Amino acid sequence: MGLLNDSITIFTREMLIFKSNLKTNLIRSMIFPLIIIIFFGNLGSGVNNIPVAIANYANNQVSNQFINSLESGSTLSVKAITNEQEGLSMLRSGTISSLIVIMPSFPKLQGGQPSVYVYYATSQFSESGVAIPLIEQTVSKYSSSQVSSVSVQSDVNAVSTQGTNSSYRDFLIAGVILMSVAFGAVFGGGMSIIVDRQLGNIKSFLITPINKNAIVLGKLFSGTLQSMIYGILALILGIILGGSIAMGIAGLIWIIPLILFVGAAFSGIAIMLGSRIKTIEVYTIVAQSITMPAWFLSGAFFPASSFPAILQPFNIGDPLTYATDGIRDVMLNGFFPFSHILLDFGVVIAFAIDGIIVSFVLFKNTIE
Amino acid sequence: MTQNDLYSVEITGLKKKFGDFEAVKDISFKIKKGEIFGILGPNGAGKTTTLNMILGLLRPTSGKIIIEGYDNSSEGEKIKQLIGFMTQETVVDSYLTARDNLRIFAKLYHIPKERIAEKVNHALEEANLTSFADVAAGTFSGGMQRRLNLVKSMIQEPLILILDEPTTGLDIQSRVGMWDEIKRLRSKGITIILTTQYLEEADQLCDRIAIIDHGKVMAIGTASELKKTVSKGNMLSIKVGLKDRTEVSKILKSKLKLDFDEKDDGLFVISTEDIQLDRLIKVAEELKKNKVEVHTIGMHLPTMDDVFMKLTGSSIRDSTGDQKAGKNIAKMGWGGRR
Repeated sequence: MGLLNDSITIFTREMLIFKSNLKTNLIRSMIFPLIIIIFFGNLGSGVNNIPVAIANYANNQVSNQFINSLESGSTLSVKAITNEQEGLSMLRSGTISSLIVIMPSFPKLQGGQPSVYVYYATSQFSESGVAIPLIEQTVSKYSSSQVSSVSVQSDVNAVSTQGTNSSYRDFLIAGVILMSVAFGAVFGGGMSIIVDRQLGNIKSFLITPINKNAIVLGKLFSGTLQSMIYGILALILGIILGGSIAMGIAGLIWIIPLILFVGAAFSGIAIMLGSRIKTIEVYTIVAQSITMPAWFLSGAFFPASSFPAILQPFNIGDPLTYATDGIRDVMLNGFFPFSHILLDFGVVIAFAIDGIIVSFVLFKNTIE
Repeated sequence: MTQNDLYSVEITGLKKKFGDFEAVKDISFKIKKGEIFGILGPNGAGKTTTLNMILGLLRPTSGKIIIEGYDNSSEGEKIKQLIGFMTQETVVDSYLTARDNLRIFAKLYHIPKERIAEKVNHALEEANLTSFADVAAGTFSGGMQRRLNLVKSMIQEPLILILDEPTTGLDIQSRVGMWDEIKRLRSKGITIILTTQYLEEADQLCDRIAIIDHGKVMAIGTASELKKTVSKGNMLSIKVGLKDRTEVSKILKSKLKLDFDEKDDGLFVISTEDIQLDRLIKVAEELKKNKVEVHTIGMHLPTMDDVFMKLTGSSIRDSTGDQKAGKNIAKMGWGGRR
């Protein structure tokens, strides 16, 4: 068990260094998520007169009261239309950002199904993020029925979502968590390999009788743990700033492993780069040009459907996409379908294994 | 006494190639137990490559390294326990306390758990840092960090200590302190291998010296043995104005029939065996007659500088100091800003 013991020694050393800079490390890791969530998470909160259309098939007293109530605030600008089809074409052309369909049974359930449907365009995420919670809130005053929201993507595929949380803030938090993890691994623990090499620490480890791989393994462990800490911190920050997990506390069972694998993958990438690149300046450039696009392309800020067609394949090929989707299933939808679990975890685990293997190979080659 | 008991390090026919470049061409030497062995050479001579091979950081292309009777190719793990190493740069984790610094290396050297605390305390005492044991090493003075570095390098109680330019960049006082420390370690029976760019340091400190250039051992022996190879008697040195250089070399060669080494800055060194005072006077008169601008002229016993110049064709300061500093800065990525 020599390798494991040696790795633990290196891991201990890394974590002691992390601990000695704890305040700086934590504050540094919080600034970026804090700014992004505060500035962008509240995007649209000052928005007024969001154009919505209502197709009222119930046409009874309660439904009219419901519509009046929606019209009373300044947030929505309500337009009454006669049928659903008309509304959908308005939605697609961008004239409105959401379409509310009130079923004939309103305020009762429609054969066990919700009696209010909301269609929203994913490209208008900031406005829908404001409109949908308001609609939901208003419905709950008049009906026991739940709202079923249906997102309409620009390429016309209607995707049904279970829809308990639809705020942009929650949408964004998933991306911010993964940003904290990926950046934490690449610019936190993982980068230590360059500093250690410049200061001669790697050499001083290599002349001891430890297994070389213990250095990589120890740094992988510590990099992963540190980036997980950053990720969880970002999640906590997000919740403090008004985010929520639709699945509740049980959602952590899915979020934490996703964070773990992404952290491990990016720690591997950091070690791989650190083994090849001699100066921090160059490392920063290379690491940023890998991490930033990977982050943006995952749809951290905008739904991938709003990307230009040329970027779509990159979104599909970006491992972070799957981690983001997984966390969104948990945080926004409160439901993690088995097929998604399989796909998201499959990709993320494969990504982590790749990163780890490459880090070992490159570190070994560089040292010899 | 058998061979094994006499020598700490035995190197035979050592070679190391990096692609087409042969950094170490053919190096053989033996280091006796308990001696201070100096390795001198200009930058790029192969010193560091040789040390890295002794340390087990590089695998030799061919040749043999035997350390304390263990073969480096098959018993590397054992050898690593026997060698301590300290570089020119102080290597301590500045964010960690002195105690944690030592504890981590005690673990990396696989010292049994129950003995670690005792070893660490002992090392702290040796370094005179007991009262700073739980303070971050980054707050220490340079000297304190250096002492911590030394005891850290020796936490496993090695039989051999390799010091790569241990005194470079130190002030005179610290340098003398380091010399005393090295001598103290030798008196405990530890074999010390050091590289240095200070020739007078090698002269005073080292029991034996190997001069390495172009990946080969140029000479090996005690300081006085090496000096005798340059000249058995005195050396005559003349420094003249640059414009008179060709004339002086003509006078020395054809009129006085003397062999000499000439350096770029107008320094002529003559090292025949029979340099006597009357020879000096003769040369001086000849130069005066030709109205040569003489800056200095004199006699001296051969020094390590003369040895180094004769064997490597350059003065050690020309070839190490500046270039090395430049290289280090470039390595840190500061080249453009300085």
